[in-house]
Amino acid sequence: MRCRILSATLLLAGCGGPLSTLAPSGPVAAEIAWLWWAMLAGAGVITLFVLGLLALAFGRPRETSTRRWTHGLGLWFSLGVLTLLLGAGLVVGERILPRDDGAVTVRAHAFQWGWSFTHEGADGAPVESAGLMHIPAGQPVDILITSEDVIHSFWVPRLAGKMDAIPGRTNRLRLIADSPGVYAGLCAEFCGRGHAGMRFDVQAHADWPPENWPPEPERGRQ
Amino acid sequence: MTDTTASPSEAQAAPADLPRNPPQRALPLNRELAGVWANDRGIWGQITSVSHTTLGLRFMATALVFFAIGGILAMLIRAQLATPDGAFLDTELYNQIFTMHGSIMMFLFAIPMLEGLGIWLLPKMLGTRDMAFPRLTALGYWCYLFGGLIMLTALLFGVAPRDGWFMYTPLSSSAYSPGINADVWLLGVTFVEISAVAAAVEITVTILRQRAPGMKLTEMPLFAWYMLGTSAMMLVGFPPLIAASVLLELERAFDWPFFDPLRGGDPLLWQHLFWLFGHPEVYIIFLPAAGALSTIIPVMCRTRILGYGAIVAAVLGLVFLSFGLWVHHMFTVGIPHMALAFFSAASVLVAVPTAVQVFAWIGTMWKGRPELHLPMYHILGFFLTFVLGGLTGVMLAIVPFNWQAHDTAFVTAHLHYVLIGGFVFPMMAAITYWMPLVTGKARVRGVGEAAFWVILIGFHGTFFVMHLTGLLGMPRRIDVYPDNPEWIWLNLTSSFFGFVMTIGFAMFALDMLLQVTLGTRARRDPWRAPTLDWAMPLPAPSFNFSSLPTARHLDRPASEVMLELACGDGALPGAPRGQREFLVTSVGAARPDHVAHLPGNTSLPFALSSSIGVFVLLVLWQLYLLAGMALVPVAVLIWVWGRGLAPRGPLQPIEIAPGVTLPVHHQARQSLGQSGLVAFLVANAALFASVLFGLAFLSVVTQGPAPPPAMIDTSRIAWATGLIAGAQLLGMALSRGGAPVWAALGLCANAVALIALLAGIVPVLDDPTAHARDALRAAMAAYVGLHLLVACGMAAFVLDQYRRGEITEQIRGAWAPWRLWQDFTSITTLVTILALIAQKGGA
Amino acid sequence: MKWLWWVLAGPTLWAVVFVAVYSAHGAVCAPIPGPEGLTTGARLLLIGIWILGVVAFWPLLRAVPTGTGRAARLPRWGAWIGFFATVFTLFPVVFTTSC
Ligand code: HEM
Ligand SMILES: [Cu+2]
Ligand SMILES: [Cu+2]
Repeated sequence: MRCRILSATLLLAGCGGPLSTLAPSGPVAAEIAWLWWAMLAGAGVITLFVLGLLALAFGRPRETSTRRWTHGLGLWFSLGVLTLLLGAGLVVGERILPRDDGAVTVRAHAFQWGWSFTHEGADGAPVESAGLMHIPAGQPVDILITSEDVIHSFWVPRLAGKMDAIPGRTNRLRLIADSPGVYAGLCAEFCGRGHAGMRFDVQAHADWPPENWPPEPERGRQ
Repeated sequence: MTDTTASPSEAQAAPADLPRNPPQRALPLNRELAGVWANDRGIWGQITSVSHTTLGLRFMATALVFFAIGGILAMLIRAQLATPDGAFLDTELYNQIFTMHGSIMMFLFAIPMLEGLGIWLLPKMLGTRDMAFPRLTALGYWCYLFGGLIMLTALLFGVAPRDGWFMYTPLSSSAYSPGINADVWLLGVTFVEISAVAAAVEITVTILRQRAPGMKLTEMPLFAWYMLGTSAMMLVGFPPLIAASVLLELERAFDWPFFDPLRGGDPLLWQHLFWLFGHPEVYIIFLPAAGALSTIIPVMCRTRILGYGAIVAAVLGLVFLSFGLWVHHMFTVGIPHMALAFFSAASVLVAVPTAVQVFAWIGTMWKGRPELHLPMYHILGFFLTFVLGGLTGVMLAIVPFNWQAHDTAFVTAHLHYVLIGGFVFPMMAAITYWMPLVTGKARVRGVGEAAFWVILIGFHGTFFVMHLTGLLGMPRRIDVYPDNPEWIWLNLTSSFFGFVMTIGFAMFALDMLLQVTLGTRARRDPWRAPTLDWAMPLPAPSFNFSSLPTARHLDRPASEVMLELACGDGALPGAPRGQREFLVTSVGAARPDHVAHLPGNTSLPFALSSSIGVFVLLVLWQLYLLAGMALVPVAVLIWVWGRGLAPRGPLQPIEIAPGVTLPVHHQARQSLGQSGLVAFLVANAALFASVLFGLAFLSVVTQGPAPPPAMIDTSRIAWATGLIAGAQLLGMALSRGGAPVWAALGLCANAVALIALLAGIVPVLDDPTAHARDALRAAMAAYVGLHLLVACGMAAFVLDQYRRGEITEQIRGAWAPWRLWQDFTSITTLVTILALIAQKGGA
Repeated sequence: MKWLWWVLAGPTLWAVVFVAVYSAHGAVCAPIPGPEGLTTGARLLLIGIWILGVVAFWPLLRAVPTGTGRAARLPRWGAWIGFFATVFTLFPVVFTTSC
């Protein structure tokens, strides 16, 4: 709920858009967005503090304790802030990691320049699609990411962070879509001439597994 | 290095100052020195110059030209991105342009700029007359220029690299990048890196061994500490890039599959090696800039730096920590969270020493009374910009946030905040600060201040909004975005202010031009600085000091010191022997040790780098046979180079001050040349370690197909390796000898090892194109072979010196360098053999 | 010169411990395919190397010399830098998901 309100106000502030990390539509992306706002606030305060100190320097010379600057501010102050931040980052990182919990998996295979996706059909047979990926809404999905040729990167900014598609490896990324709808995705790692156009969409479905493949597209972009 | 001069107990005793030399008339002294130190006349004089002042300035001037070219490319990028459908560039060209923009700015602007600053400034600041190896300075410059020209020419012909400045494989391998574009990058950059390694070697040696007598290591100017840190990082940081480039070029040229996942290679190996260089690189760029700040801020505030010791410790911390962060460029490649956490923590931690410096600088300003001269404007610009860039850097070090922001415009914004904030602003401060020493002229007021404001506004207007552009999902390295109207106003803003910033830089250039042409004569020591760089007439003469400063000249107003030095009060006044000379001192306490005689003007560096350039071009044109032959002149010229070091005439000890007599470097126990070779071997060891890392990585981490069964003729391998190992142990012993026989035997031992390698091992190596590990084995065999060949050459060189009668009881000739090289070669050979056996067993 | 070696000692020790833990982690993880973590034994091994590294700073901190001049205490600072870095950069071995 809090996220809803937050993202509604943000849309007004110009933070929206189909690829905006600041308009998260699932808990993974939301946790990261939250981290960003916290860091932004902290960074703002620190910037003002440093610039204030700088402004105060213009004046008559004064006695200052060396240790206060090098140890007090330089060492302990920064170490304190950074420890806090690192801790928060690691905790969030742990929470959004893929787990062995039997989540739905979908394969995303990148090539120059496009994407093909392999889902598990109702009868267990693989179902392929190109350019449009299907996932269930409201539950964790693990994407298994591979590449045909060069390195690409799978990214659906409103659902989760990005993960590279590297030839010879299979990478795993967890994402969760709060509600059904279509989410925009793209290739984030430079992969040659067609890089800018290497877009795809992710459709989240309320019913899973879908009755028939390919599933009915549900109207409307989120 | 064997001397122990800085052992704590001994360093406690302050070295006695040298006695004064009798006063002389300044002008004749000046003339005598100028006659010996000046460049030859005309264009030829520019080609043969080995002077650190000439070359340092030329490095910086060339770097600024490349900055302008890189800037023009940036304007093309911004023009293209101003509208969603792209104004005029097609994708192919756009890719070349952003790749070249990044590569030029990093390799042809930033690194050469800081090398130039160090080369130009360090001898002046430390109180000596030139860098340790003047010919090497020149060699570095020509390699930089030729490498840069190769890359520029490729851009003009439309065959410039186009895979991004970090050249990720497999995009840059021949399957996906046919044509010579990628080769231009690999060969051009490696050619340029010769100058980086050369500069690192001589900067290290100059700082450690050429400080004015009495200028203790623990009290030298902070700029020297920063440059020492920088050069140490360059010695260790550049070799991984060189190794990676050589491997990738081998893959492209001969199909050795180091990075091909289908044949046991791994694209991530490239990323590890590249960023093992790439992250330290940004600190290599930042540290000299910070050194300039630590020098200029106290002068602008009429005080001494606050927290000298803490700042040196911060530099120490940065130098080490920055080698433990490279994986933060690879947070999205699928590395386990625990490993990411290590690197995330290290990336966060590296902000601490940076914070220590920033607060020490601000504290210095509190302590003193800041005066708003032009350099101070740029320093304030630095603070505003760099603090923001540092904070976004810390954000990017946080793994989950990085997963979102990586490879977006947010990163582009961050990297420009740190590079322009942390390097370009400090460099503008440095240029405006030291310009009077370059030109001898004072500034024309007005334009510089205006330029500063335009640049500042233009910069933040361009890049501040780009953070948001990135968070709204715009990836980097795209040329069109027709489906994303929400990015239009952001990009348009960036492009508009980008052009504002360009106007600002043009005004900055105009300011420099005005100073050169219209400036009035500058007062001596215009900033009333306490460092030796201002204790000389303006503009700086080619020899810097008429007599060399000693302990009594340190930490005093420069204008006072200058008068004393000009009259020959310091050590080693004039050039009475018609030779370029300076003092070499001990590492810790800077006790005078010996006098070094330097080579004069020579075209050898130009010839050597030209012949390396011919080699590079032949490889680029894939004429490998001819390229191999082109190495012959390179080898010959290196031999001639070594011959140039032979003493000319009898060697009398030299009286540097009344009653103080020192030997000439040929008789010194530890010459500069030896120190330089040690520094070079550190870099070489880093190269070797990079290859070993590759071997371990491919063997343990990479999950590719197993290598095809080896067809090893075990008995043949066994006798060959045994022979090599034995010969190398013998070689080590022989290089410790001291008579012509030993040298002859040493030559034989190395030759035997080389023949055993060529005849016993090379023919039975598995086909290097079959599997990455086979390729790596072949590469290591080549590495060992090259070192054995050089060891043969060095033993032969010693023999030749005996033949010419150059080696005597006092003069040891090339024995010491040969021994160092032999030890290194023997050890790496033995380690290679062990590593290959271990890996064979594991496979 | 000897003094300089002492300056390098602390940070070098950090580098050694960092490389040791990182490579041990790489070696232990290489054969594990899934997203979930190490066996307890393997994690204890990593923690063991880390603790050993931290403890190794104790003799170093006692042994470092000083010198003269404004940066005289650099060797001691170097040792502290190494110590902090070892604690700070490697503490994630304790709790992060590993493979
Ligand atoms: C003169 C003002 C500058 C402007 C307007 C500018 C603009 C840009 C832009 C728009 C990009 C992004 C390309 C993309 O997303 O596709 C970029 C990339 C880059 N810039 Fe700059 N830049 C400037 C100066 C510098 C400087 C001074 C440096 C370094 C010292 C630098 C280093 C880089 C690097 C390393 C990249 C990445 C290239 C790549 O992605 O391969 N730039 N620049
Ligand atoms: Cu792509
Ligand atoms: Cu980095």
